Amino acid sequence: MDAAAAELEIVWLSLRVAALSLALCVLPGIALGHLFARWTHPLRGLLQGLVMLPLVLPPVVTGYLLLWLLGRSRPLGQLWFSLTGTHVAYTTAACVVAAAVVGFPLLVESVRLSMLAVDPRLEQVSRTLGRGPFDTFLRVTLPLSLPGLLAGSVLFFARALGEFGATIVLAGNVAGETRTIPVAVYTLLSTRGGEAAVLRLVAMSVALALGALFGAAWLQARQRRREAR
Amino acid sequence: MRIAARVQQRFRGFSLDVAIASEGPVLGIFGASGSGKTSLLHAIAGLATPDAAEIRIGERVLCRQPRGRSLAPERRRLALVSQDPLLFPHRSVRANLGYAPGAAARLAAPAGARILELLGLAALLERSPRQLSGGEKQRVALGRALLSDPEILLLDEPTSALDAELAREVLALLRRTRSELGIPMLFVTHRAAELLALVDDCVVLEAGRVAAQGAPLEVLSRPQALGVANLVGVDNLLRLRVVRHDEDSGVSLLDLGAGECLAAPFGAAAAGSEIAVGFYADEVMLCAQRPQGISARNLIPCRVERIDAVAHEALVELAIGDHRIRARITPGAARELALEPGRALVAVIKTSAVHRLG
Repeated sequence: MDAAAAELEIVWLSLRVAALSLALCVLPGIALGHLFARWTHPLRGLLQGLVMLPLVLPPVVTGYLLLWLLGRSRPLGQLWFSLTGTHVAYTTAACVVAAAVVGFPLLVESVRLSMLAVDPRLEQVSRTLGRGPFDTFLRVTLPLSLPGLLAGSVLFFARALGEFGATIVLAGNVAGETRTIPVAVYTLLSTRGGEAAVLRLVAMSVALALGALFGAAWLQARQRRREAR
Repeated sequence: MRIAARVQQRFRGFSLDVAIASEGPVLGIFGASGSGKTSLLHAIAGLATPDAAEIRIGERVLCRQPRGRSLAPERRRLALVSQDPLLFPHRSVRANLGYAPGAAARLAAPAGARILELLGLAALLERSPRQLSGGEKQRVALGRALLSDPEILLLDEPTSALDAELAREVLALLRRTRSELGIPMLFVTHRAAELLALVDDCVVLEAGRVAAQGAPLEVLSRPQALGVANLVGVDNLLRLRVVRHDEDSGVSLLDLGAGECLAAPFGAAAAGSEIAVGFYADEVMLCAQRPQGISARNLIPCRVERIDAVAHEALVELAIGDHRIRARITPGAARELALEPGRALVAVIKTSAVHRLG
């Protein structure tokens, strides 16, 4: 495989990992964001702390905790084995898990804040007009917090593309399997003559990040235009 | 339709404990802010969970607490219109109107066309809520509530966020809604004039308790409770028969009894019918003799019944025709005129100070 093909493979893998982890997290992120915005149960604080933990823990520690939780002798690890027939460590799935866990708090928090900004009286009006709680959520709360969901998704995606600490512990550095852009840059930096490849990967990384930002801004502008009509 | 509600709920530093029953069809709930009006309305709508409650609309039990069922708001078949229109900002006027289950179909049917016409909404359908004025928004909110086909309309001070002119416009629409659609309403307000204009029966709330119940004019014109007196701004509220119209002079003459008439601004009410009018106690001037060469049309002989000193003002109760009215003057003026019960005076009231209420 020539260098260009190898670098394309790295970028492609990173994109796949980020997109897959985002796809996995969107629904739970919306659900938990809503729960944290509207639920008043005393257990909320505990659950919220647990979800937010990866945001404040060193990613390497998060990676180690995941490795321990998903280990061969742990219930979660055994469940994974019985479902997939493989062990999670050092596979592409491990990259997805690491990116998901580390990015999840950003998504949840962004959704939570935008749902907090939705006037609860609009939800009350919807209920008195005959729409049940789930219907009200789909018709009022979710559409009104769409900009927050979008912003959270962009943050999540960027964080997933850049995920390094938890990934290197849980997924390692397997070419074609777990070697994402940050892992590859780290490897190339300690390789003689890798500077050119590093520069190319860095350039692509910057391009992807800018693309995500502009894409989100464009979507938001479109949303605003539609609302203004 | 019979409305019966008994609601008890404790809040921090405030408790609501009321029992009301009314045949409606339009029941007014009157009280100052903090009297528990909105809490009561939210309990009826199912948006708050009272500690103890029994709420019935017609034959249906909406809530029986504790140990009993409580219907979710969406199953109570009532619609709430509050002070803020609370239109869904991400939906067009049409989509707002068609929001409730079945409302889109009703909107397309003759019944929907009637509501659109009544509220003047046809031209607004394709707009976004942000392109509407305050009065238009409230009209859309009213239309959205009516199109949900509720058994009763809950109105939580629907005019108080609007300026006086728009408030009158919305009130006029509510009156038309009442007469044309005949829908029962529960109308919360702190404006006495709105009660007179719209409701059949009226409950006065004070600090979470029922202070009075009865026909609005009765409740408001006998403010035993000081709270009510404060609220109505010591309005003079009268229900009078129209004697005749004098289009040339621009007045309608109303019978005060004992051969006296009150000149009110020219109105279209048929002679012989009764109308409610109000004017502020501040608008009544008192003269020792009948004044000469004055523009005010009402120079009516009266007699002092009582004088109450309230802070830095004197509230004078006067017998005028067969009615009682109040005048608010300064204590200095009361001294100078040597006011005392039994003293004969002439009350001077400008025609334009007399407002028609209902």
